[in-house]
Amino acid sequence: MHRRTFLLSSAGAALSAFAPATGVLAADEPADFHIAGILAFSGAYGIIGKDMRQGVELAIADRGGKVLGKPIRVSWEDDETKPQPAVQKATRLLAGGAQMMFGAVGSASTLALQGLADQRKIPLLVTISADDKITRPNGSRYTFRTSNTLGMEIRMCIEFAKVKGLKKIYGVTADYQATRDGWELFAAEAKKAGIAIVGNDYAPLGNRDYSVIVDKMAKSDADGIAVIVTGNDAVTFLKQSGQVGLNKSKTQFGPVLQDETLAAAVGPAAVGVYSGVRYHFTVDNPANKKFVEAYRAKYNEWPSSFAGEAYDGISWWLDVVESTKSWDRETWVDAFAKSTRENSLEGKKVMRGCDHQAAQVGLWGVVTEGQAPLPPLTMKITDVFDASKLFDVCS
Amino acid sequence: MSTIVIGLSLSFLLFLLAAGLTLIFGMLGVINFAHGALYMLGAYVCYQIVHWTGSFWIGLAFAPLVVAALGAAMEVVTLRPVYNRDHIYQLLLTFGFILVIEESVRLIWGLDYKQVPTPDLFSQPIALFGSQIPSYRLFIIGFGALVSVLLFLLLDRSKLGMVIRAASSDSEMAQTLGVDVAKVRTAVFALGSGLAALGGVVAAPLVPIELGMGFSVIIDCFVVVIIGGLGNIKGAIFAALLLGMARAAGFTYAPEWVELITFVLLIVTLMTRPSGLFSRKGRAA
Repeated sequence: MHRRTFLLSSAGAALSAFAPATGVLAADEPADFHIAGILAFSGAYGIIGKDMRQGVELAIADRGGKVLGKPIRVSWEDDETKPQPAVQKATRLLAGGAQMMFGAVGSASTLALQGLADQRKIPLLVTISADDKITRPNGSRYTFRTSNTLGMEIRMCIEFAKVKGLKKIYGVTADYQATRDGWELFAAEAKKAGIAIVGNDYAPLGNRDYSVIVDKMAKSDADGIAVIVTGNDAVTFLKQSGQVGLNKSKTQFGPVLQDETLAAAVGPAAVGVYSGVRYHFTVDNPANKKFVEAYRAKYNEWPSSFAGEAYDGISWWLDVVESTKSWDRETWVDAFAKSTRENSLEGKKVMRGCDHQAAQVGLWGVVTEGQAPLPPLTMKITDVFDASKLFDVCS
Repeated sequence: MSTIVIGLSLSFLLFLLAAGLTLIFGMLGVINFAHGALYMLGAYVCYQIVHWTGSFWIGLAFAPLVVAALGAAMEVVTLRPVYNRDHIYQLLLTFGFILVIEESVRLIWGLDYKQVPTPDLFSQPIALFGSQIPSYRLFIIGFGALVSVLLFLLLDRSKLGMVIRAASSDSEMAQTLGVDVAKVRTAVFALGSGLAALGGVVAAPLVPIELGMGFSVIIDCFVVVIIGGLGNIKGAIFAALLLGMARAAGFTYAPEWVELITFVLLIVTLMTRPSGLFSRKGRAA
């Protein structure tokens, strides 16, 4: 009897685990629209997860909490910024009937989720991870990214160097593959633009001391410092470069070097640092104004780039799902691959069918001292680069 | 020459980070996994004091005391009952401290970054040997040297140090001679915790203050302690100097090899002197 019960429950579990992969069952109407939200809620990236969750929850509230006439339910899980927990927790949520995945924060986790998305034929929406490999021609059918790629941010750096008239650049690059690729792209594009590279150092990821590298930069004749690091490493670098006044003699810039959160961690040494900006609350369009007003009313804070990108991405996705009037995931994927977001928070975004990457303008800004009610250190958008300058042609 | 100055600053920062760990192991035989969490807590408490008072120096004076008091309480309540048990219980306990401290920090200060500015007195760089050296780095060298000398004098030259060493090498004999071993152990754990916090305070103007900052230093601390010899302050000073100088040279000539250099030093030490360069004979506490 026990053996029979075990076999029946095993068969049931196996059926439920594989059922979402079948088109017939996927097209059935479930009780709700279930999203598996896999983000970092602990550790250094916990604040990113928190902001993204707030963005998503506001987007859902904006549409009355429903899509296709059913309530939207999000199950949030903390991946601890590690691929293995990300996949384990997502797998459990998919077995529980989640119709799509949202996340992750770190690119390694997102790439791991991408494998799961392809295997289970479940859409994965990415709104922050920037590794170029996430969206590539003939890549994952089920993965879509509505936010920036590192490649486009590197190209923004080059466009900025040209606009600023920088002639000689010294770089510091976090020593892992995505940023190494980013530096190589930057160096190649700089060469084409007639900008000399006078040095570059690869610093270990999580490096806590840049003093020697900063000393080499200060002694060089570079007029620009390209900082291809982000997060804690960016804060550490800028705090330490500020202690020798590098910010006074050379222009410091990077693809994702600063936003309001990171600038607050750096302090006054952040003023004058240029950076790519994924989203900003000062972008002047009706959609963004409405979002910022609602966000501030709900959370009593300015939306970060993580919150803005999450809100924008999930709103776009849910609108497309609504427009299909279908519960078939393949229909959603086909529709999203051909969709255009005319009224995104950053202006027009076009989903490229070839690689599932949203083509969009690139925002570029500088850290300035903000006046209340703005944060004490606020990004001021200085340039908006056209998508045609930031993306390769893709067919 | 500037590389040597920077190397010295790296060395003394490493020493400040590792001193508490080696002290607690040397005198109590406890491998304190929570050392990184106490370092983080020191930085957060300093941030709070600076936020309230505007003075880094008040933070430097009081944050280690706050964490030392917490360390004393932790020792009395949790470690004291397990000294006579297997080491695994102490390891598990200190691992538990990490979780409790991190969660407490998250609840009190939240997830976002905190910032402690460089004190005004040391905010300007100084031209030295053709380089602009941050004056705060020179402060670290001086302060680290002072702490190392004071620790050496306390443990090796003072009566209190003699009592601590006696309680460490033969606690029963020390107890028989009238030494309150329990209080000595509490004092040592408090001192080690305070030193961890001191490392966090000194590092605060250099790095972001965030929940993960303890994890990022604990490996360096263990490398210093293992190379120097478990529980040996002189060894910790030497190991910190060796590592700091190697890193400064590495960052000058081959930055991408710096991590490898660190671990090669560790492996060579373990192969040639498994007990560390300045090993003690062992602990009996």
